[in-house]
Amino acid sequence: MHEFSHRIFVMGVVRTHDREAARELVQDVLIAVIGALRKGQLQDAEKLAAFVHGTARNLINNQLRTASQQPPLESLPEDLAQENLVEQLEDAERGRLVHQALERLGQEDRKILLMTLVEGCKPGEIAAALGLSSEVVRTRKLRALKKVTDLIEKKLSRT
Amino acid sequence: MNCKEVEEREILEEYLLDRLTEPDREEFEKHYFECASCFSQLQTRLAVQAELQRQPAIPARARGAGFRLAWAWTPAFVTVALLLAVGVWWYSAQKHTPSQQASSSPPTASPEISVPSTPPTSTAPSLEALARVEPPPYSEIVLRGAEDKGHEAFRTAMQNYSKEDYAKAIPGLQTAVKANPQAASFNFYLGAGYLLTDRTDPAIVYLRKTISLGNPAYSESAHFYLAKAYLKKKDVSAAEEELQKTVQFHGSRETEAEEILRELRK
Repeated sequence: MHEFSHRIFVMGVVRTHDREAARELVQDVLIAVIGALRKGQLQDAEKLAAFVHGTARNLINNQLRTASQQPPLESLPEDLAQENLVEQLEDAERGRLVHQALERLGQEDRKILLMTLVEGCKPGEIAAALGLSSEVVRTRKLRALKKVTDLIEKKLSRT
Repeated sequence: MNCKEVEEREILEEYLLDRLTEPDREEFEKHYFECASCFSQLQTRLAVQAELQRQPAIPARARGAGFRLAWAWTPAFVTVALLLAVGVWWYSAQKHTPSQQASSSPPTASPEISVPSTPPTSTAPSLEALARVEPPPYSEIVLRGAEDKGHEAFRTAMQNYSKEDYAKAIPGLQTAVKANPQAASFNFYLGAGYLLTDRTDPAIVYLRKTISLGNPAYSESAHFYLAKAYLKKKDVSAAEEELQKTVQFHGSRETEAEEILRELRK
Protein backbone atom coordinates (compact mmCIF):
# COMPACT_ATOMS: atom_id res chain seq x y z
CA MET A 1 0.00 0.00 0.00
CA HIS A 2 2.97 2.29 0.73
CA GLU A 3 4.02 2.21 -2.93
CA PHE A 4 0.50 2.96 -4.09
CA SER A 5 0.00 5.86 -1.69
CA HIS A 6 2.93 7.75 -3.30
CA ARG A 7 1.41 7.21 -6.72
CA ILE A 8 -2.06 8.29 -5.62
CA PHE A 9 -0.54 11.41 -4.09
CA VAL A 10 1.26 12.36 -7.32
CA MET A 11 -1.86 11.67 -9.33
CA GLY A 12 -3.87 13.84 -6.91
CA VAL A 13 -1.38 16.73 -7.12
CA VAL A 14 -1.37 16.70 -10.92
CA ARG A 15 -5.13 16.45 -11.24
CA THR A 16 -6.17 18.84 -8.44
CA HIS A 17 -3.12 21.19 -8.27
CA ASP A 18 -3.55 21.07 -4.50
CA ARG A 19 -1.12 19.13 -2.31
CA GLU A 20 -3.37 19.20 0.75
CA ALA A 21 -6.34 17.91 -1.22
CA ALA A 22 -4.05 15.23 -2.71
CA ARG A 23 -2.99 14.10 0.77
CA GLU A 24 -6.61 13.73 1.82
CA LEU A 25 -7.35 11.87 -1.37
CA VAL A 26 -4.66 9.30 -0.54
CA GLN A 27 -6.52 8.48 2.65
CA ASP A 28 -9.90 8.31 0.91
CA VAL A 29 -8.56 6.06 -1.85
CA LEU A 30 -6.79 3.69 0.56
CA ILE A 31 -9.92 3.39 2.68
CA ALA A 32 -12.02 2.69 -0.40
CA VAL A 33 -9.54 0.10 -1.73
CA ILE A 34 -9.23 -1.69 1.61
CA GLY A 35 -13.01 -1.73 1.92
CA ALA A 36 -13.35 -3.20 -1.57
CA LEU A 37 -10.68 -5.84 -0.90
CA ARG A 38 -12.44 -6.87 2.30
CA LYS A 39 -15.64 -7.31 0.35
CA GLY A 40 -13.79 -9.45 -2.19
CA GLN A 41 -14.44 -7.08 -5.06
CA LEU A 42 -11.04 -7.71 -6.66
CA GLN A 43 -11.00 -11.11 -8.36
CA ASP A 44 -7.51 -11.06 -9.85
CA ALA A 45 -4.71 -9.99 -7.48
CA GLU A 46 -2.47 -9.16 -10.45
CA LYS A 47 -4.83 -6.34 -11.34
CA LEU A 48 -4.41 -4.59 -8.00
CA ALA A 49 -2.46 -1.65 -9.50
CA ALA A 50 -5.14 -1.01 -12.13
CA PHE A 51 -7.82 -1.37 -9.45
CA VAL A 52 -6.15 1.21 -7.18
CA HIS A 53 -5.66 3.56 -10.14
CA GLY A 54 -9.30 3.25 -11.19
CA THR A 55 -10.49 3.92 -7.63
CA ALA A 56 -8.22 6.95 -7.35
CA ARG A 57 -9.39 8.34 -10.69
CA ASN A 58 -13.05 7.96 -9.74
CA LEU A 59 -12.63 9.62 -6.35
CA ILE A 60 -10.60 12.50 -7.83
CA ASN A 61 -13.18 13.05 -10.54
CA ASN A 62 -15.96 13.00 -7.94
CA GLN A 63 -14.12 15.53 -5.86
CA LEU A 64 -13.46 17.81 -8.82
CA ARG A 65 -17.12 17.57 -9.78
CA THR A 66 -18.39 18.50 -6.33
CA ALA A 67 -15.56 21.06 -5.97
CA SER A 68 -15.69 20.74 -2.22
CA GLN A 69 -13.50 18.66 -0.02
CA GLN A 70 -15.39 16.12 1.99
CA PRO A 71 -13.80 14.89 5.20
CA PRO A 72 -12.87 11.19 5.13
CA LEU A 73 -15.86 8.99 5.86
CA GLU A 74 -13.94 7.07 8.45
CA SER A 75 -10.55 7.35 10.08
CA LEU A 76 -7.55 5.45 8.76
CA PRO A 77 -6.50 2.21 10.39
CA GLU A 78 -3.57 2.96 12.72
CA ASP A 79 -0.87 1.42 10.52
CA LEU A 80 -2.05 3.42 7.46
CA ALA A 81 -2.27 6.63 9.48
CA GLN A 82 1.32 6.07 10.58
CA GLU A 83 2.31 5.47 6.96
CA ASN A 84 0.58 8.71 5.96
CA LEU A 85 2.70 10.61 8.46
CA VAL A 86 5.88 8.94 7.15
CA GLU A 87 4.90 9.99 3.62
CA GLN A 88 4.44 13.60 4.68
CA LEU A 89 7.88 13.58 6.30
CA GLU A 90 9.40 11.97 3.20
CA ASP A 91 7.72 14.57 1.01
CA ALA A 92 9.14 17.41 3.13
CA GLU A 93 12.60 15.81 3.13
CA ARG A 94 12.46 15.34 -0.65
CA GLY A 95 11.60 19.04 -1.03
CA ARG A 96 14.56 20.04 1.14
CA LEU A 97 16.93 17.82 -0.85
CA VAL A 98 15.64 19.15 -4.17
CA HIS A 99 16.27 22.68 -2.91
CA GLN A 100 19.87 21.70 -2.09
CA ALA A 101 20.36 19.97 -5.43
CA LEU A 102 19.00 22.95 -7.40
CA GLU A 103 21.37 25.27 -5.57
CA ARG A 104 24.27 23.18 -6.85
CA LEU A 105 23.17 23.40 -10.47
CA GLY A 106 24.41 26.13 -12.79
CA GLN A 107 22.08 29.04 -13.42
CA GLU A 108 21.50 28.03 -17.04
CA ASP A 109 20.61 24.45 -16.09
CA ARG A 110 18.09 25.75 -13.53
CA LYS A 111 16.70 28.05 -16.19
CA ILE A 112 16.22 25.04 -18.51
CA LEU A 113 14.35 23.17 -15.75
CA LEU A 114 12.25 26.23 -14.93
CA MET A 115 11.28 26.80 -18.54
CA THR A 116 10.49 23.08 -18.99
CA LEU A 117 8.59 22.26 -15.82
CA VAL A 118 7.04 25.58 -14.80
CA GLU A 119 6.72 27.70 -17.91
CA GLY A 120 5.90 24.72 -20.10
CA CYS A 121 8.31 25.55 -22.93
CA LYS A 122 9.38 22.90 -25.45
CA PRO A 123 13.10 22.16 -26.01
CA GLY A 124 13.00 24.09 -29.31
CA GLU A 125 11.56 27.17 -27.59
CA ILE A 126 14.13 27.00 -24.79
CA ALA A 127 16.87 26.53 -27.36
CA ALA A 128 15.75 29.67 -29.21
CA ALA A 129 15.60 31.70 -26.00
CA LEU A 130 18.99 30.59 -24.66
CA GLY A 131 20.91 30.37 -27.92
CA LEU A 132 21.45 26.60 -27.70
CA SER A 133 20.43 23.68 -29.88
CA SER A 134 17.36 21.59 -28.98
CA GLU A 135 19.56 18.55 -28.54
CA VAL A 136 21.79 20.37 -26.05
CA VAL A 137 18.71 21.54 -24.13
CA ARG A 138 17.41 17.94 -23.92
CA THR A 139 20.76 16.58 -22.81
CA ARG A 140 21.28 19.27 -20.19
CA LYS A 141 17.75 18.86 -18.86
CA LEU A 142 18.25 15.10 -18.42
CA ARG A 143 21.71 15.59 -16.89
CA ALA A 144 20.40 18.19 -14.42
CA LEU A 145 17.48 15.96 -13.43
CA LYS A 146 19.85 13.03 -12.96
CA LYS A 147 22.00 15.11 -10.62
CA VAL A 148 18.91 15.95 -8.57
CA THR A 149 17.74 12.30 -8.53
CA ASP A 150 21.21 11.03 -7.54
CA LEU A 151 21.40 13.44 -4.61
CA ILE A 152 17.91 12.54 -3.38
CA GLU A 153 18.52 8.82 -3.64
CA LYS A 154 21.92 9.08 -1.98
CA LYS A 155 20.59 11.08 0.96
CA LEU A 156 17.31 9.18 1.35
CA SER A 157 19.07 5.80 1.26
CA ARG A 158 21.25 6.93 4.21
CA THR A 159 18.24 7.67 6.41
CA MET B 1 2.18 2.86 -23.07
CA ASN B 2 5.79 1.84 -22.39
CA CYS B 3 8.94 3.49 -21.01
CA LYS B 4 10.33 4.22 -24.48
CA GLU B 5 7.19 6.05 -25.53
CA VAL B 6 7.20 7.99 -22.25
CA GLU B 7 10.72 9.20 -23.00
CA GLU B 8 10.25 9.91 -26.70
CA ARG B 9 7.02 11.88 -26.31
CA GLU B 10 8.23 13.72 -23.20
CA ILE B 11 5.17 12.37 -21.44
CA LEU B 12 6.54 13.12 -17.95
CA GLU B 13 6.66 16.88 -18.60
CA GLU B 14 3.39 16.90 -20.53
CA TYR B 15 1.66 15.06 -17.68
CA LEU B 16 2.98 17.42 -15.00
CA LEU B 17 1.93 20.42 -17.08
CA ASP B 18 -1.53 18.88 -17.46
CA ARG B 19 -1.26 18.92 -21.24
CA LEU B 20 -2.03 15.29 -22.06
CA THR B 21 -5.31 14.27 -23.59
CA GLU B 22 -7.56 12.32 -21.22
CA PRO B 23 -6.82 8.91 -22.87
CA ASP B 24 -3.05 9.58 -22.80
CA ARG B 25 -3.21 10.70 -19.18
CA GLU B 26 -5.13 7.58 -18.26
CA GLU B 27 -2.64 5.37 -20.13
CA PHE B 28 0.36 7.02 -18.51
CA GLU B 29 -1.12 6.78 -15.02
CA LYS B 30 -1.80 3.07 -15.52
CA HIS B 31 1.82 2.73 -16.67
CA TYR B 32 3.42 4.48 -13.71
CA PHE B 33 1.23 2.60 -11.23
CA GLU B 34 3.26 -0.43 -12.30
CA CYS B 35 6.59 1.03 -13.47
CA ALA B 36 9.02 1.97 -10.69
CA SER B 37 11.49 3.67 -13.03
CA CYS B 38 9.02 6.05 -14.68
CA PHE B 39 7.39 6.80 -11.34
CA SER B 40 10.73 7.67 -9.76
CA GLN B 41 11.47 10.11 -12.62
CA LEU B 42 7.99 11.59 -12.28
CA GLN B 43 8.43 12.09 -8.52
CA THR B 44 11.72 13.92 -9.06
CA ARG B 45 10.23 16.21 -11.69
CA LEU B 46 7.21 16.96 -9.51
CA ALA B 47 9.48 17.88 -6.58
CA VAL B 48 11.68 20.04 -8.85
CA GLN B 49 8.61 21.74 -10.31
CA ALA B 50 7.26 22.52 -6.81
CA GLU B 51 10.62 23.85 -5.65
CA LEU B 52 11.14 26.03 -8.73
CA GLN B 53 7.65 27.50 -8.31
CA ARG B 54 8.62 28.51 -4.77
CA GLN B 55 11.96 30.08 -5.75
CA PRO B 56 12.34 33.70 -6.87
CA ALA B 57 12.68 34.27 -10.62
CA ILE B 58 16.04 33.50 -12.21
CA PRO B 59 17.56 36.54 -13.96
CA ALA B 60 16.42 36.81 -17.56
CA ARG B 61 19.71 35.85 -19.16
CA ALA B 62 21.50 32.89 -17.69
CA ARG B 63 25.23 33.22 -17.18
CA GLY B 64 26.36 30.79 -19.89
CA ALA B 65 24.20 32.31 -22.58
CA GLY B 66 25.28 35.78 -21.52
CA PHE B 67 28.91 34.83 -21.89
CA ARG B 68 28.38 33.52 -25.41
CA LEU B 69 26.25 36.48 -26.38
CA ALA B 70 28.79 38.88 -24.91
CA TRP B 71 31.35 37.53 -27.37
CA ALA B 72 28.83 37.69 -30.17
CA TRP B 73 28.23 41.38 -29.40
CA THR B 74 31.91 42.31 -29.10
CA PRO B 75 31.99 44.14 -32.48
CA ALA B 76 28.96 46.17 -31.43
CA PHE B 77 30.56 47.11 -28.10
CA VAL B 78 33.78 48.14 -29.88
CA THR B 79 31.77 50.32 -32.28
CA VAL B 80 29.90 51.97 -29.41
CA ALA B 81 33.17 52.57 -27.53
CA LEU B 82 34.76 54.14 -30.64
CA LEU B 83 31.72 56.36 -31.19
CA LEU B 84 31.89 57.46 -27.55
CA ALA B 85 35.59 58.27 -27.87
CA VAL B 86 34.96 60.32 -31.02
CA GLY B 87 32.08 62.07 -29.25
CA VAL B 88 34.23 62.96 -26.26
CA TRP B 89 36.99 64.19 -28.60
CA TRP B 90 34.45 66.33 -30.49
CA TYR B 91 33.12 67.72 -27.22
CA SER B 92 36.65 68.57 -26.15
CA ALA B 93 37.44 70.19 -29.51
CA GLN B 94 34.28 72.31 -29.32
CA LYS B 95 35.18 73.39 -25.81
CA HIS B 96 38.52 74.67 -27.06
CA THR B 97 37.29 76.77 -29.99
CA PRO B 98 39.06 80.21 -30.28
CA SER B 99 36.12 82.18 -28.90
CA GLN B 100 36.18 80.19 -25.69
CA GLN B 101 39.93 79.89 -25.32
CA ALA B 102 40.37 83.41 -23.92
CA SER B 103 38.48 82.58 -20.80
CA SER B 104 39.43 78.92 -20.48
CA SER B 105 42.65 77.02 -19.96
CA PRO B 106 45.50 77.43 -22.50
CA PRO B 107 45.09 75.53 -25.76
CA THR B 108 46.72 72.16 -26.03
CA ALA B 109 48.86 71.22 -29.00
CA SER B 110 46.81 68.19 -29.95
CA PRO B 111 43.10 67.39 -29.69
CA GLU B 112 43.48 65.52 -26.42
CA ILE B 113 40.55 63.55 -25.13
CA SER B 114 39.43 65.30 -21.99
CA VAL B 115 37.02 63.58 -19.68
CA PRO B 116 34.80 65.86 -17.63
CA SER B 117 35.39 65.51 -13.87
CA THR B 118 31.71 64.77 -13.31
CA PRO B 119 29.66 62.67 -15.68
CA PRO B 120 27.31 64.69 -17.86
CA THR B 121 23.77 64.56 -16.55
CA SER B 122 21.21 63.22 -18.99
CA THR B 123 17.50 63.75 -19.03
CA ALA B 124 17.00 60.74 -21.33
CA PRO B 125 14.80 58.03 -19.79
CA SER B 126 16.54 54.91 -18.55
CA LEU B 127 16.33 51.54 -20.32
CA GLU B 128 14.07 50.35 -17.50
CA ALA B 129 11.70 53.23 -18.22
CA LEU B 130 11.72 52.51 -21.94
CA ALA B 131 11.10 48.81 -21.26
CA ARG B 132 8.00 49.55 -19.21
CA VAL B 133 5.03 47.73 -20.68
CA GLU B 134 1.46 48.89 -20.92
CA PRO B 135 -0.80 45.85 -21.37
CA PRO B 136 -2.06 45.47 -24.94
CA PRO B 137 -5.76 46.31 -24.93
CA TYR B 138 -8.26 43.53 -25.38
CA SER B 139 -11.91 43.68 -26.29
CA GLU B 140 -13.90 40.49 -26.26
CA ILE B 141 -14.79 38.96 -29.58
CA VAL B 142 -18.10 37.10 -29.54
CA LEU B 143 -18.15 34.08 -31.82
CA ARG B 144 -21.24 32.71 -33.41
CA GLY B 145 -21.94 29.03 -33.01
CA ALA B 146 -20.30 26.50 -30.72
CA GLU B 147 -16.97 27.36 -29.13
CA ASP B 148 -14.07 24.92 -29.45
CA LYS B 149 -11.86 24.05 -26.48
CA GLY B 150 -9.22 26.62 -27.44
CA HIS B 151 -11.63 29.53 -27.73
CA GLU B 152 -13.33 28.55 -24.50
CA ALA B 153 -9.99 28.50 -22.64
CA PHE B 154 -8.99 31.79 -24.30
CA ARG B 155 -12.22 33.54 -23.35
CA THR B 156 -11.92 32.44 -19.72
CA ALA B 157 -8.23 33.39 -19.57
CA MET B 158 -8.93 36.83 -21.02
CA GLN B 159 -11.42 37.50 -18.25
CA ASN B 160 -8.46 37.30 -15.85
CA TYR B 161 -6.35 39.34 -18.29
CA SER B 162 -8.99 42.07 -18.32
CA LYS B 163 -8.87 42.12 -14.51
CA GLU B 164 -5.08 42.64 -14.84
CA ASP B 165 -4.45 39.23 -13.25
CA TYR B 166 -1.96 38.21 -15.92
CA ALA B 167 -0.40 35.35 -13.94
CA LYS B 168 -3.82 33.73 -13.61
CA ALA B 169 -4.49 34.23 -17.32
CA ILE B 170 -1.37 32.34 -18.44
CA PRO B 171 -2.46 28.69 -17.80
CA GLY B 172 -5.68 29.25 -19.77
CA LEU B 173 -3.76 30.90 -22.60
CA GLN B 174 -1.35 27.94 -22.64
CA THR B 175 -4.33 25.62 -22.97
CA ALA B 176 -5.72 27.78 -25.79
CA VAL B 177 -2.40 27.75 -27.67
CA LYS B 178 -2.11 24.01 -27.22
CA ALA B 179 -5.59 23.50 -28.63
CA ASN B 180 -5.01 25.88 -31.53
CA PRO B 181 -1.29 26.59 -32.07
CA GLN B 182 -1.94 28.57 -35.26
CA ALA B 183 -4.15 31.21 -33.64
CA ALA B 184 -2.15 34.47 -33.65
CA SER B 185 -4.37 36.05 -30.98
CA PHE B 186 -3.77 33.16 -28.54
CA ASN B 187 0.00 33.28 -29.08
CA PHE B 188 0.09 37.07 -28.88
CA TYR B 189 -1.76 37.37 -25.58
CA LEU B 190 0.23 34.47 -24.11
CA GLY B 191 3.43 36.34 -25.05
CA ALA B 192 1.99 39.55 -23.60
CA GLY B 193 0.97 37.72 -20.42
CA TYR B 194 4.50 36.41 -19.95
CA LEU B 195 5.94 39.87 -20.62
CA LEU B 196 3.61 41.48 -18.10
CA THR B 197 4.67 38.96 -15.46
CA ASP B 198 8.38 39.53 -16.20
CA ARG B 199 8.92 36.10 -17.78
CA THR B 200 10.80 37.55 -20.70
CA ASP B 201 12.18 34.43 -22.38
CA PRO B 202 8.86 32.66 -22.97
CA ALA B 203 7.40 36.08 -23.91
CA ILE B 204 9.96 36.31 -26.71
CA VAL B 205 9.15 32.78 -27.85
CA TYR B 206 5.40 33.43 -28.22
CA LEU B 207 5.73 36.93 -29.66
CA ARG B 208 8.14 35.57 -32.28
CA LYS B 209 5.68 32.82 -33.01
CA THR B 210 2.89 35.39 -33.43
CA ILE B 211 5.02 37.19 -36.01
CA SER B 212 5.78 33.94 -37.83
CA LEU B 213 2.04 33.29 -38.19
CA GLY B 214 1.79 36.44 -40.34
CA ASN B 215 -1.60 37.64 -39.12
CA PRO B 216 -1.65 41.38 -39.96
CA ALA B 217 -3.92 42.13 -37.00
CA TYR B 218 -1.18 41.13 -34.55
CA SER B 219 2.14 41.50 -36.42
CA GLU B 220 2.77 45.18 -35.65
CA SER B 221 1.95 44.82 -31.96
CA ALA B 222 3.98 41.62 -31.72
CA HIS B 223 7.07 43.44 -33.08
CA PHE B 224 6.45 46.30 -30.66
CA TYR B 225 6.11 44.10 -27.58
CA LEU B 226 9.04 41.98 -28.72
CA ALA B 227 11.10 45.20 -28.70
CA LYS B 228 9.91 45.80 -25.13
CA ALA B 229 11.00 42.27 -24.19
CA TYR B 230 14.48 42.91 -25.60
CA LEU B 231 14.64 46.22 -23.74
CA LYS B 232 13.85 44.33 -20.54
CA LYS B 233 16.80 42.10 -21.36
CA LYS B 234 18.90 45.23 -22.10
CA ASP B 235 19.47 43.97 -25.64
CA VAL B 236 19.28 47.40 -27.26
CA SER B 237 20.33 46.33 -30.74
CA ALA B 238 17.61 43.64 -31.01
CA ALA B 239 15.06 46.08 -29.57
CA GLU B 240 15.97 48.71 -32.19
CA GLU B 241 15.54 46.16 -34.94
CA GLU B 242 12.04 45.27 -33.73
CA LEU B 243 11.09 48.94 -33.30
CA GLN B 244 12.17 49.68 -36.87
CA LYS B 245 9.98 46.82 -38.07
CA THR B 246 7.11 48.25 -36.01
CA VAL B 247 7.53 51.65 -37.66
CA GLN B 248 7.40 50.06 -41.12
CA PHE B 249 3.78 49.05 -40.50
CA HIS B 250 2.80 52.77 -40.20
CA GLY B 251 0.12 51.67 -37.76
CA SER B 252 -1.05 52.66 -34.30
CA ARG B 253 2.34 51.89 -32.69
CA GLU B 254 4.40 53.92 -35.17
CA THR B 255 4.72 57.14 -33.12
CA GLU B 256 5.54 55.36 -29.87
CA ALA B 257 8.12 53.15 -31.59
CA GLU B 258 9.77 56.18 -33.20
CA GLU B 259 9.93 57.99 -29.85
CA ILE B 260 11.63 55.02 -28.19
CA LEU B 261 14.06 54.75 -31.12
CA ARG B 262 14.94 58.45 -30.71
CA GLU B 263 15.56 58.00 -26.99
CA LEU B 264 17.74 54.96 -27.61
CA ARG B 265 19.88 56.88 -30.10
CA LYS B 266 20.46 59.82 -27.74
